[in-house]
Amino acid sequence: MPDALTAAPPAIRWRRSRLLLRDAGIGIALLAMVLFFALAAPDFLSGANVGNILTQITINLILATGMTFAILVGGIDLSVGAVMALCAVVAGTVMKGDGLSEPLAVFLGIAASLAVGAVAGALNGFVSSFWSIPSFIVTLGMLNVARGSALEVTGARTIYDFPDSFIAFGTATLFGLPLMFLLALLLLLVGWVVLTRTVFGRMIYAIGNNDEAVRLSGHRPFTTKVAAFTVTGLCVGIAAIVYVTRLSIANPILGVGFELNAIAAVIIGGTSLSGGRGSLVGTLLGAVIIGVLSNGLILMGVTDFIRQIITGLVIIGAVILDSYRARLSRAA
Amino acid sequence: MFRRSFVSALVGAGTLAAIRTPALAADHKPVVGLVMKSLANEFFKDMQEGAVQHAKERGDFTLIPVGIQSETDIDGQIAAVENLVTRHVDAIVIAPADSRALLPPIARAIKSGIKVINIDVAFDPASMKKRGVDIAFVGPDNRDGARLSADVLAAKLGRGGKVVILEGNPGAENGVQRRLGFMDSINANGLKLLDSRTAHWETEEANSVFANMLTAHPDIQGVMAANDSMALGVVKAIDASGRSGKIQVVSFDNIPAIRPLLENGKVLATVDQFGAQLAAMGVDNALKEVQGQTLTGWIKTPVKLIKGRDAG
Repeated sequence: MPDALTAAPPAIRWRRSRLLLRDAGIGIALLAMVLFFALAAPDFLSGANVGNILTQITINLILATGMTFAILVGGIDLSVGAVMALCAVVAGTVMKGDGLSEPLAVFLGIAASLAVGAVAGALNGFVSSFWSIPSFIVTLGMLNVARGSALEVTGARTIYDFPDSFIAFGTATLFGLPLMFLLALLLLLVGWVVLTRTVFGRMIYAIGNNDEAVRLSGHRPFTTKVAAFTVTGLCVGIAAIVYVTRLSIANPILGVGFELNAIAAVIIGGTSLSGGRGSLVGTLLGAVIIGVLSNGLILMGVTDFIRQIITGLVIIGAVILDSYRARLSRAA
Repeated sequence: MFRRSFVSALVGAGTLAAIRTPALAADHKPVVGLVMKSLANEFFKDMQEGAVQHAKERGDFTLIPVGIQSETDIDGQIAAVENLVTRHVDAIVIAPADSRALLPPIARAIKSGIKVINIDVAFDPASMKKRGVDIAFVGPDNRDGARLSADVLAAKLGRGGKVVILEGNPGAENGVQRRLGFMDSINANGLKLLDSRTAHWETEEANSVFANMLTAHPDIQGVMAANDSMALGVVKAIDASGRSGKIQVVSFDNIPAIRPLLENGKVLATVDQFGAQLAAMGVDNALKEVQGQTLTGWIKTPVKLIKGRDAG
């Protein structure tokens, strides 16, 4: 089965090169943007600023990597921001527990964050596919459950003062690049391998394209859907840890609206909102475009309100472009 | 008027007797409804807990606290006010989610004989005039508090010091007032404002926005953050840029998480507006009105400058 899929017939190979071309299209847009800012804002390409941009996009990149799985399988996850807050405060509470040695506290905190994220994701996937409810509404419910739980756990208070060894990750660098960004990149790479080189990945695309056809061919979309949403949740758990190490606090109101940024990165990256079409390479480019835009406009001195308008226009522009691409691939 | 009492009579028909009886009894304690904003916000949560504690200590009134879902849940707050009117409370203390939209139900409450005290954010004076009410406002002077905090920064930097401001939510009244207070200090002390941007009260956004401001203006010497949550993000950005100690930060609120930073000198000063006691002070004033006094205008509550280790 995997062999049959990897040794693709010419038609699919043609489709792949189209896909490549499409990602290149987003890449060209990003390149143009970088060139523009480099000319308009002299410090834009400085090492420190590039480091800033990479740090600033890391959380969104991790969330968007997870979101790509949910969207590719034909769903969406609106709960990621709220679940991230829940993961962070649970991790924070565990880490501040009495009588734990520092390494154990850090280990348990990270484990708790990943567990909470994965369970929330699995629940999203389970409820939406078991009862065939649109994940839009299920995850909207989960958004409230998670936000409420985060507030309940903390009594609406901010948790602070974490172990230094843990916080150090937030500013650590490797080869001059932020370590947290390299972690996000590694995660993206793993995700890319899973999506393009495994049966699970192929099933995600197949279900996103035509759920019913997969069912009729004797496969069970249910397990794959639950697994895809679990991946989304697991990424949220990782993003929560990155948040806490970067800012040294965990509070129950963090991450409001982060789901929209993650969705924007995925869509700008050319993944279809209706599922089945898209790639993590696009998601990476989408997240970088959002980060570069926000950073560059501030460096240029563009005011807050205008900055918000421009960001909105770029998202709309990306979706318009995407509609042309969809027509192109149908024509092919 | 008649319609309204008719409706409340209908709604409360079953429990009317139960509510009315203690009201007629000689040892009747006044009932005060406290209408809060979102309790998801640490500030309002502390405020409500402070009021509940105060009710226990005073013991001569009954408190009914109600919160709403989110900061902007105006409908929820209107429903809460109408509900308290139906329950015939003696007084309402309200932190309005909107300084205009809450006035119609509040004006109706006043006309039905309920005493009202406004806390946290003041009702719009023009709208009050239009409705023919004059509600006393019990609250801190955000503008003056912000000026106090900024003055510490100005004293540290001296004339010509280069600063940036991190603003709260655009349109939020306390955010607007704090920015004005920062500007007062900047103008009075001859500071140079390089940039002013919102980070929506939020730590992560403040961290990113400030890091980017620092790239655009490497000569920043001081930061004025409209709340402590944003100051936390600013300090992390300063640490990450390796310029700890070279860029000074002042802020507002005095939340617990800012205290270690005041102690180690990473934040120069913040301002405490005693949020936990604000609702309690509102309740005290409401009870004065119940006893027959008439209060109007702005009853200012204290703001206190909290200096850190390195403040001059």
